[in-house]
Amino acid sequence: MVMTSNTNYIRFRLFHRFCHFLIIISFFGLVLTGMPLAFRGYGWARWLYELFGGYPTAGYIHRVCALITFFAAFIHFIYLFYSISVQKKKGFFWGPNSLLIQPRDVFDIIGDIKWFLGIGKRPNFDCWIYWEKFEYLSLMWGTLVMALTGLILWFPVQFTKIIPVSVAGIIDLPSIALIIHRYEAILAAGFIFTIHFFHTHLLPEKMPVDEAIFTGRITEEEFKHERLNQYKRLERQRQLDNLKIAPPSLFVSFLTRLFAVPILITGLIMVGLMFSALLVWAI
Amino acid sequence: MVYKPKKSLMTEVISGLKKIQIPAFLVVCVTIVTLSPALLLAGDNGPCIECHTKPDKLKVAEKAKIDPVTGEIKVLSMLIDEATFKASAHGGEDFFCTDCHQDLDGKDVTEGHKPNLKPVDCITFCHDDPAEEYLQSTHVKLMRENNKDVPTCKDCHSGLSYHYTSVGEKSPRDVPRGTDPLHRKLTIDACGSCHQDYLNSYKNNAHGQVATLGHTTTDVPVCFDCHGKHKILNSSDPESKVGKERIIETCGNCHANANASFVKHVEHPQIKNIKYYKTLLAAVKNARSDPGNLKKVIKNPQTILCIVFVMYVGILAFTFSAFGLHSLLSWFAVVRDEYRRKEHGDDEQH
Repeated sequence: MVMTSNTNYIRFRLFHRFCHFLIIISFFGLVLTGMPLAFRGYGWARWLYELFGGYPTAGYIHRVCALITFFAAFIHFIYLFYSISVQKKKGFFWGPNSLLIQPRDVFDIIGDIKWFLGIGKRPNFDCWIYWEKFEYLSLMWGTLVMALTGLILWFPVQFTKIIPVSVAGIIDLPSIALIIHRYEAILAAGFIFTIHFFHTHLLPEKMPVDEAIFTGRITEEEFKHERLNQYKRLERQRQLDNLKIAPPSLFVSFLTRLFAVPILITGLIMVGLMFSALLVWAI
Repeated sequence: MVYKPKKSLMTEVISGLKKIQIPAFLVVCVTIVTLSPALLLAGDNGPCIECHTKPDKLKVAEKAKIDPVTGEIKVLSMLIDEATFKASAHGGEDFFCTDCHQDLDGKDVTEGHKPNLKPVDCITFCHDDPAEEYLQSTHVKLMRENNKDVPTCKDCHSGLSYHYTSVGEKSPRDVPRGTDPLHRKLTIDACGSCHQDYLNSYKNNAHGQVATLGHTTTDVPVCFDCHGKHKILNSSDPESKVGKERIIETCGNCHANANASFVKHVEHPQIKNIKYYKTLLAAVKNARSDPGNLKKVIKNPQTILCIVFVMYVGILAFTFSAFGLHSLLSWFAVVRDEYRRKEHGDDEQH
């Protein structure tokens, strides 16, 4: 066994941890009250819908959670706006700290495929790995799509009012919104509960939960193992010491697990039920 | 219970019943003096309920009846389940037993009443309006003109209420109200037993998905809320509730300020109907010989719904297979690296 060093670095500031927490709460509220409608023919869907009060209570919970999502998205964009235009921080759109796709992501993908096939070493990543960027961007895009279609379904009369009658006869806005909302939801829930869970929290080396997004800290080992390029870059820039922080207390670690593990299990059960429905349909 | 002569035991029971039919009727149909004396007055159901809820107060609790249409022999319970009756369409405060059983109106029933009451004629006494409305419906028009087998009164009004009664079995007395959620749910299946495609597409709609989950209160529209109850008309008819003349009014019953664009809503999306995709493909195939048809299909709001649906199926399939594979491979690679590291470590020790 390698000795675990006690050095920790800060990875997520309180603001981002809070946003992630808001997204967890609202996302689970939305999925648990919304998914029964998409899988309405199955017994578990009816049970789950009744658990959340059935019609119309589950719908109200769904809308409240939607408002929490809007709030999280709103403060996220306020943060971006403030950092870019007021604080004049650099590196949001380009460079190793950007969450947008960069040329080197293409090389990372190729490197990863080589590693999968056993003809290369595990590539070293910087601050954000390409699938993390993909997850972030799809969260942004998904939230936009779900918010827009959700609002159309929430206020169908008001939204159709702005469409001329001749167009409404060809483009039925509420029906399109319903289909997009339903399948984008399946895409989002399926993606979070499988890809996000298995790439971030349920990796063999992370099981059962990657605590970084909850405690904000990663150990030196984790840092070097996952994001060696960033580590070396910060070392070169002599910024590494600024990020040093005391390791999370046992209590915080315990709280994280207490919160995250049931949430992860709930998500896995949900995705299991969703995929079992697909199997039932296929058979 | 309905005895159908299917098995030999059943046949025996029925032939036995037939043999004793007359004496049984004589015995069965004499309703004898009840234990507590009660006077039947117009406007009071008390005296009826007094005996017809207690088996021991009724000399005859069950009667055999031959259905005049099907010839089935049924056993009718003379008992009334008060809760079911009160919840039923006939259970209102100002509704009395003698409104239907008019031969007992004003009669003294302290000593019981005559064994065989006159058959209740629902249409002549009260329900002449729906019957007349029904005769104007597209269902009846199809029956008269095309000799189609369409639902008549009993097709809808028997099954829907009979499922529902517990004690007072098979009595139109306990017919549920139109607001009754379970009754409303049963009507969806009743309409769907013929209109299968429409039922399936309704289930894909915003209204139908909630109904499919089992919520059929008056907040969630079922078939008859939009299409009407007795006078169901084809949408081309100017009087139809779903025709262009009245659709704003119909949608407006729930959606305040429903406008002309809003009512263009597709209530029966064909996204999961293979037949619609076939017509789409056929229209594309015959685009040169019949461009008018292609134009019509493109202008159909269903087309864009189908395209969006197919697009999303594609996105789902691609995303989950690509990232599923990515997950599997990265798991495999992590485990492989771990294994190699251990092997390597072992070599070093030797």
